[in-house]
Amino acid sequence: MSHNDTIPLYQSSQSDIDEIENMMNGGLQSGPGTVLPARPPSPIRPSIPVSSSPFVQSNLPPLPPSSSSVPAPPSLPPAVNFGSSEGSKTIGFGSPPNTLTEPVWDTVKRDLSRIVSNLKLVVFPNPNREDPGKALRDWDLWGPFFFIVFLGLTLSWSASVKKSEVFAVAFALLAAGAVILTLNVLLLGGHIIFFQSLSLLGYCLFPLDVGAVICMLKDNVILKMIVVTVTLAWSSWAAYPFMSAAVNPRRKALALYPVFLMYVSVGFLIIAID
Amino acid sequence: MDPSQPPVENYANPNTCLFHVLFKGAALAFYILSALFFNSFVIIFVVTVLLAALDFWVVKNVSGRILVGLRWWNEINDLGESVWKFESLDQESLARMNKKDSWLFWWTLYLAAAAWLIIGVFSLIRFQADYLLVVGVCLSLNVANIIGFTKCKKDAKKQFQQFASQTIASRFQSTVQSAFTLV
Repeated sequence: MSHNDTIPLYQSSQSDIDEIENMMNGGLQSGPGTVLPARPPSPIRPSIPVSSSPFVQSNLPPLPPSSSSVPAPPSLPPAVNFGSSEGSKTIGFGSPPNTLTEPVWDTVKRDLSRIVSNLKLVVFPNPNREDPGKALRDWDLWGPFFFIVFLGLTLSWSASVKKSEVFAVAFALLAAGAVILTLNVLLLGGHIIFFQSLSLLGYCLFPLDVGAVICMLKDNVILKMIVVTVTLAWSSWAAYPFMSAAVNPRRKALALYPVFLMYVSVGFLIIAID
Repeated sequence: MDPSQPPVENYANPNTCLFHVLFKGAALAFYILSALFFNSFVIIFVVTVLLAALDFWVVKNVSGRILVGLRWWNEINDLGESVWKFESLDQESLARMNKKDSWLFWWTLYLAAAAWLIIGVFSLIRFQADYLLVVGVCLSLNVANIIGFTKCKKDAKKQFQQFASQTIASRFQSTVQSAFTLV
């Protein structure tokens, strides 16, 4: 996993494939330097049949490392996918690994590290916030899933009666709210990708999660209000650059106000639970 | 045993098959049986959805790769557009994939989705909105995998056809060229 740290975020899906193939091909290591945004797959993965090549290479015998010097085939650059919302390429990857545990563990670690890095990007101050489009380039929905479930669980635990309904309401509210907020941005003529926005709104729930845990532990009303206000401000601050970058500047308020409203309502839920 | 019969192909990856089926089955079984043991909706929800999410991850990242040689994911390219990427083994390896493995893969995928659909209909009839939520989440996870892998398979076929026709065209061209140079 160490070489993933050097790969820019928007490639980590590509690095998934690279990692798996690196493991599968054993000694045929392609270092991080060969994982380029232009993505020339054939030189790195010796077992790929490229559609422009006249012969189908069997993917079982690994090719010698000199294949890395073969120039990239012109047929598979990402430029093909510009302007199309559904691009597709076929790249063959190597034969499946012999052991199931090793690659699975690495996949798990990679996914976990992606969650952590996405969280750091969205919620904590960092230079990438200047360029919102690039920041959540490899969105994932695992983080938001955990945060929503955790918030629901915390609220449900804090409630003394009707625990099930509290959980169901919290989950449904957050999930439906994220979807509706995304639709709102899209209908305002904004440019945002559906899943990216869902992912963003989910990650921005992290401060509210923290606030909910604190409120669960200490039952003082004044403290609750202060904590909720602080975490609410933090959540809104986290969501602001991404949402505002997505829409026309004149419609910024129209896009941001519902987000703020949703977080305020969640904040009220946290305060009001007893 | 009839000696003239060819040996029956066994599962090539029994562990993967097991995991592929395990989480799906566990989610369905837990959901159905939990009504007998647990009174708390929260536990049922969290455990079922967790098992369904684990199953989604296993199918997408592990068993899809190993049992049928397909993989799909979504990327955002430099222009900020969402791109669905499909990846598959080359045609030789695909043809060499264990038939039992891929049969199990596809059928359990479809059966699980159908099972959740039926359970959803029951919940709908009984007007249990919160259980409908659980079923909805699990169903959408299953359907997402089905759609992803089906698209991936179609894409693989399309790529192979394109490649095959290209190969035929280029070979024809080179044959014609060599014929003309010989003449």
